[in-house]
Amino acid sequence: MNFATDTSIDIASAVNRATAPSAEPKLKVEGLNFFYGDNHALKNINFDIPEKRVTAMIGPSGCGKSTLLRIFNRMFQLYPGQRAEGKILFDGVDLLSKDLDSTVVRSRIGMVFQKPTPFPMSIYDNIAFGVKLHEKLSKAQMDERVEWCLRKAAIWEETKDRLHTSALGMSGGQQQRLCIARTIAVRPEVILLDEPTSALDPISTSKIEDLIDELKQEFTIVIVTHNMQQAARCADITSFFYLGELIEVAASNEIFTNPREARTRDYITGRFG
Amino acid sequence: MTEHIVSSFDNDLKELSRRVVEMGGQSERLVADSVEALVKRDTELAQKVIVLDGPVDLLQREIEEKAILTIARRQPLAGDLREIVAAMRIANDLERIGDLAKNTSKRVLALTGEFHPQKLVRGVEHMSGLVLEQLKMVLDSYASREDARALEVWRRDGDVDVLYTSLFRELLTYMMEDPRNISLCTHLLFCAKNIERIGDHATNIAETVHYLATGQLLTDERPKQDTTSLTSMPFPA
Repeated sequence: MNFATDTSIDIASAVNRATAPSAEPKLKVEGLNFFYGDNHALKNINFDIPEKRVTAMIGPSGCGKSTLLRIFNRMFQLYPGQRAEGKILFDGVDLLSKDLDSTVVRSRIGMVFQKPTPFPMSIYDNIAFGVKLHEKLSKAQMDERVEWCLRKAAIWEETKDRLHTSALGMSGGQQQRLCIARTIAVRPEVILLDEPTSALDPISTSKIEDLIDELKQEFTIVIVTHNMQQAARCADITSFFYLGELIEVAASNEIFTNPREARTRDYITGRFG
Repeated sequence: MTEHIVSSFDNDLKELSRRVVEMGGQSERLVADSVEALVKRDTELAQKVIVLDGPVDLLQREIEEKAILTIARRQPLAGDLREIVAAMRIANDLERIGDLAKNTSKRVLALTGEFHPQKLVRGVEHMSGLVLEQLKMVLDSYASREDARALEVWRRDGDVDVLYTSLFRELLTYMMEDPRNISLCTHLLFCAKNIERIGDHATNIAETVHYLATGQLLTDERPKQDTTSLTSMPFPA
């Protein structure tokens, strides 16, 4: 059975159901294939990511979900031997086109990684650094921006008195929220989250999930997670990847109560060998 | 379905389902015994039903606790989640069924020594036969996760309603014929209502089995044919 053609039909209907009436996709993946050298890591992916919604990608390790996230952000271009075929339309422009400036792409599509990656500088500068690359702001405007994104990332109260101390002295959960703050500081349109809470305690996790809920009012969010409950809680749409294929996409409340594909069901209920 | 990677999760689900089946068997027994007690005016059997409703209530609480614990421990999804929700819902219906059987049995005790022509009870006996069949079938459909049989039960509940409506008229007629029948017939009407409601609980269980098996909720309106609330009969001049 050819899954690619099969699922593309499912995607359209799932997305329509979950996002109607504003079903315009922010990112549109068309016939995407990806290779790590000879390794065919993503196989003919067709996938719409709707605007101002949370889309979760789940699947066992090595299924290609993080790879897809890295393609959205053009990270793969940093490595020789990795190549992508097909199209990813971002508001109608092909992200894979060579003419597009990666820095501009990354300011519009921000990413947060599994491990917090603060720069070895002050909390304030961690945020100001990226903003300065794209915008000329006065000191007052910059202060305002830093406060805005720290507040959004639910970490303002903890950091307001130590903005000029090193970010490396923060706890893991705080560092991760700082990274989210840094990502939204440049006001991207899409935020990619690669297992943003896997290293965090439940309280920090809740704060970040709360943040995701709030951010989706303004941003399009794509989240990779191994935590099914997190996907069920946070995401409007969930996609399941397996061995480089997109197996199923559906509204989260459907996929977690009544998945159509046996492989999805086995994975989310913990039956995968 | 393949087994879970965590095998104790499979055990939890199996245990939950086993207890629901056990509770189903017990409730079925209570209904059958309560009707037998009514027909044969067997107060001893009626007493037994009243006592044995206790263990059914206990099982319901156990199933509920076990289900809550399993949700907290395993965070079930998809079919597993439906399995647990179904167990809780069915246990609730079965507990109510037990209560209704108990109520019928209490009425048997109240009727001791009353004027008791046997023909008056025939209608109730006949109706309970149909309801017991429904109950058995729906419990089988749960045990085998068979949607088709559950749907059959769901569709057939209309027959029980028709029977109940005609029984209602019949008992009214008996009361008009002979005022000495009134006390018995009034109790019989309540017993008939109990049995009709047991039929309703059986269709609730059928809906749950359908959800368990397919993930879909039965949203169609069930064919309702109990029209007793609209029924009146003029006293013969």
